[in-house]
Order: sequence, then C-alpha cells, then structure tokens
Amino acid sequence: MLTRVLVANRGEIAIRVMRACRELGIETVAVYSDADARALHVLTADRAVRIGPPPPRESYLNATAILDAARITGADAIHPGYGFLSERPAFAHACEEAGITFVGPPSEAIARMGSKVGARRLMQEAGVPVVPGDTPADQRDESLIASAERLGLPVLIKPSAGGGGIGMKVVRERAALAESVAQARREAQAAFGDGTLYVERLVERPRHVEVQVFSDAHSHTVHLFERECSAQRRHQKLIEESPSPAVAPALRSRIGEAAVAAARAAGYRNAGTVEFLLEGDGDQARFYFLEMNTRLQVEHPVTEMVTGVDLVQAQLQVSAGEPLPWTAASLSQRGHAIECRVYAEDPLQDFLPQAGRLLLYREPHGPGIRVDSGVVEGGEIPVFYDPMVAKLIVLGDTREAARRRAVEALRRYHVLGIRTNISFLIALLEHPRFIEAGVDTGFIDREGDAIRAAMPAELPAAAFAAAAIHRPGRSSEPRSARPRTDAVDPFVSLDGWRSR
Amino acid sequence: MTMVRFRLGQRIVTARVDAVGEVRIDDSAFAVTEAGAGLYVVDDGQRRWHIAVADAGDERWVSVDGQVAVIDVESDTAGEPRKKSSTGAAMMAPMPATVVKVLVGPGQSVAEGETVLVLEAMKMELPIRAPRAGLIAAVHCAQGDLVQPGVALVDLE
Repeated sequence: MLTRVLVANRGEIAIRVMRACRELGIETVAVYSDADARALHVLTADRAVRIGPPPPRESYLNATAILDAARITGADAIHPGYGFLSERPAFAHACEEAGITFVGPPSEAIARMGSKVGARRLMQEAGVPVVPGDTPADQRDESLIASAERLGLPVLIKPSAGGGGIGMKVVRERAALAESVAQARREAQAAFGDGTLYVERLVERPRHVEVQVFSDAHSHTVHLFERECSAQRRHQKLIEESPSPAVAPALRSRIGEAAVAAARAAGYRNAGTVEFLLEGDGDQARFYFLEMNTRLQVEHPVTEMVTGVDLVQAQLQVSAGEPLPWTAASLSQRGHAIECRVYAEDPLQDFLPQAGRLLLYREPHGPGIRVDSGVVEGGEIPVFYDPMVAKLIVLGDTREAARRRAVEALRRYHVLGIRTNISFLIALLEHPRFIEAGVDTGFIDREGDAIRAAMPAELPAAAFAAAAIHRPGRSSEPRSARPRTDAVDPFVSLDGWRSR
Repeated sequence: MTMVRFRLGQRIVTARVDAVGEVRIDDSAFAVTEAGAGLYVVDDGQRRWHIAVADAGDERWVSVDGQVAVIDVESDTAGEPRKKSSTGAAMMAPMPATVVKVLVGPGQSVAEGETVLVLEAMKMELPIRAPRAGLIAAVHCAQGDLVQPGVALVDLE
C-alpha cells in the first residue's frame, strides 16, 4: 500500500482525497499557493508545502514545484484530483520517471485519449459508436456536399484543424449546403491556414450521459453505471444525477459495455469516465462517444451514493497494484442520487464569479445528504481559482424523493458574504422540465431567463425581523472569547431570548 | 424599544423591536428566537422561517429558504443615520480585483450609469458605473492597483 500521498490540488477535491487516504491509514501532504496559506485543505493534511504565488501557472500547475514537494516530504504517490495537472500526460510521465506513483492512468493512456481525432479513430476500431461523420479525402466542394447528403441533414460542417466553434456551420436545408461549405472553407483557411473540412451529423437536443469505468493492473475493467449531466450552463455542468432518467435497462447494459470496450481500447487503468451524447430516449435512444476523461470527475459522488463504493479509496488501492475491490456482478445501483454544484457566482449578474470572505457558512445535514466542500466560515474565496465552493449530493429512494431532498437541503444551506447560485439551483430543480426529466444540454442556455424569473424576488418581512434582532459582530465573535460557566445557568441558556 | 430602518433597493422597511424580543413590521408581529450564532427562527403565528444573518459594515446579509439579500441598515434606535453622509456616494469593487482602466478624474461630471473604472477579476472585465449623475470628488486608485472589496475607489459628490 502507499504510505504518503501528496494531493496536487486544492478545495473540496483535495479534502475528499485526503479523507480517503486517512481512512486507509495513508499520510497526506497538501500543496498550496500564497492565496491558500490558511485554506481548509492545508489544515486537513498531515503536512503542507508552499509551491508558489497565487496564479495557477506558478503554483498548482507548476509541475516542478509539486514534484520537489513530493521529494522533500518523501511522498510515494501524487493524486492530481481533477483539473490542474490531472490530464497532462507530461506530468504523469514525470511522476513515472521520478519513481512516484501517479494516482491515475498511465501517461500514454492520457495522451491517447487527449487527442480528439485519435480517440475517435480508436473508438471506431473498438466498435464504440461515434457521431456519424466524414472527412473526405477529396476535399472539393461537390465531394463534401455528397458526404453531407449521405449522412443526412441536418449536419454540422467543421474545420478539421478547428476549435472554439470557429468556422462551424449548421446546415438544415439542402439548398444552403453549397454556400455553407464555401463559407466554412474561407473561415477555416483564414483562422487556421487549413481549409480541410469535416462533416458530422448534427445531434439535436442531445443529453449528456457518461459512464464511470474502472480498470486495474490485472486486466479487470468494470463500469459503475451512468451519470446524467445534461443540466449544463455554457458547457459547465450544474446538476448531475444517477441513474439517468433517459436510460432504460437494455440501453444501460449496451452503453456500459461500450464504455468498458472504450477503456480497454485505451489501455486504461484506474478511474475514468466515458462521455456519450444520447439522442432520443426509450428504445429509440442512440448514443455516440464524445470523449474520455482520464481522471476522477467532479460528479463522482453521485456514483458513490447509488453504488455504495468509495471511488477514491479504490483509486489508491489500484494505484498500489491491488486488484479492483469489486466485480461487475457485485455492483448495483440503489436509489437515485442528485448532485448540485454550488458556485460563488451571481445568477442575477450574468453569473459573474464572486470572491470575498464567507461571513457565515452553514451546511445542511440529514439523512441522505452529503456535502463535499473546501471552505470554512470566516475563510476567503480567492479570485484566482474555479468558483465552485461545494457540492451538495443527496440520495433518495426515487428521483422525485431525491429532488425534493435536494431542494429542502438547499433551502437550509446558508452562505453569506458572497453571492452563490443556490437560489438558481432551487429554481432549476423546481422547473417543470427538470421535474419531468426532460432536460437536454441546451436547456439552461435556452431557458435561463425563465429559470431566473422563478427565483424569489421579494424578501419576506420575516427576514427583516431577524435582521432587526441581530447585533453586529455576534456571528463572527469567537466562542472562546465568551465567558464560560461550569454550572448550567438558566440565564445563560436564555441568551437566545433578547430583551432590549 | 428600538427602531431599525432598512433599505433593500427601493424598498424601505422599518422594524420596531419591543422589550420582549418581538418585532413589528407594518401590521405584522414576529417572535424571533436565536437558534445558534447568526441563526434565527422567526414566527408570525402562522408559519416559521429559518433565517441566517451576518454583518458587513452598514450592510446586513440575510438568507432565507435559499434566497440571499444584502440589506442596508439606514438607521438604528432613534432614527440616527448610520452613514456619515447621506448625499455622497462611493464606488467600490465587489470583489478583490485589479484596476485595468481609470476613466474619470476629480472634478469631472458623470452621468448615471457612466463607466468610471474597469476592474478585472477572475479573468473577467468588470465595469464600475456611477450610481447616479454627479461630480467626481476623488479617485483613490490607479491603473494596476490590486483593490479590495468595501474600499471606496471613486467618491461622487
């Protein structure tokens, strides 16, 4: 087993990983930037090493400083969390070279799946469905038009060398094909110096369904069912759930098998996620490979809630060379889990990220409620990093029970001092389309105004009543500064009843 | 008895707190019980609310059923104004940020909604606009400064 793990991350995921280490008797090392010197993940670890100034490039993305910190502290493994260095093959390779276990897949697997074109080809070879598309060797306009007609309209025309949506054209009518091809060609040539085009069938109103996979070093690969992550705002996931309400049992086994085939083709090891686009639902539903995330996902807790496993502990065990703790036959889904990402952003100011001090921070508790967070009351949310402060995950017997539990938990989640998206999350969970499980990946971007309009506008008078009773400085007053009495004094316990 | 006057946007609310901790707002009476530091249970005889309150200077943050508001405490007790000046206005950064551009100087007149500063935080540009028309009394920052929230950057007369 590993003896000391350095966690190359911050916030909730660093704390999540450290908790798993502690339960397995593994010591933990935190790394931190100057902005995080007093952050919760630093206090949670057994040891902490400063790695640089606040900007990520100089700290959490500074591979040299992190490897030095591992050497200085004698760490035998590095867990990268998600984001930052987690999907950089060069970093995984540097760990391998330094004789430090990288808690994740081999660097070659990260590189293999990091190339969009390469990954698509690999998946096709492995028999995993991809969105039907064509890059004709004959790049004349007529040939592209013929490809589009063969695939069937609507299609998406994209530059091969592209990115960021530049030169991308949606074509719905035959008459518009020639002009769109010519236009895409001009834009691709201008932007990338390469006019090579690619035609893909347009998947309309798709759902995002992903499958958790896990492989060990003993040729075992299993999947841990699916997660539905269609509730996204500008490609940023907001709410995830498992099981997916759009996936029927027959589809579940097919998509699971496809994900396992994808992981095998990638030469995968450790925890990974195969993302699919889902078109339609019920028996007519079709799925297409989107990409593979070669790391632990933000939304891994929904899988943990319905399967009852600890994915991070399994990551550590598999990294140490142990076999997977489960078999396909021993895994099952029970109940329904929903995760809500709490972001420090203001839904009423176009989701502007917020930073500042948490004047008051109280998480909800109760049966079936889990909060993974990386902040404390009185702590600062720095400007330099991702604005996600916490994840609220709930488990219920049914989707509706889980949904109601999430709404009630969010109502009791008090965050003061910085604006958060909590009221937006409640409005989304209460939206009829979410209730009937009819959300596709474009839903929030199309209906954002309607969701915002459902957020309460008028503050109840009761809130002013509480504010009138509140006395400045009370909530931030340290408890130790208050006089202590050993005996139970009735007048002390009446403190809550103000008489001014 | 204590009187507290709050402002939330255009809304002015006056709360009267009597000797036994009951609060009257308009025609409603609320019994308020403290249920932990900063947490209150408010009861109007019909239903209960669980409310969190925290202070930041003259502002009071409140949270109820997932809704958060920042309300100004305009006066406390006998109608004594809490703010030093009721006419001047200061423009502040909503978060720690870097000043990218200073677009005004002292003595300059500005229209309501005119951009006076451009800040940058979290890789986003954030224009700071005049809350009303007036004359710039002072500018307390320069391009490149790292500024903190709650500190006046530009004063309006």
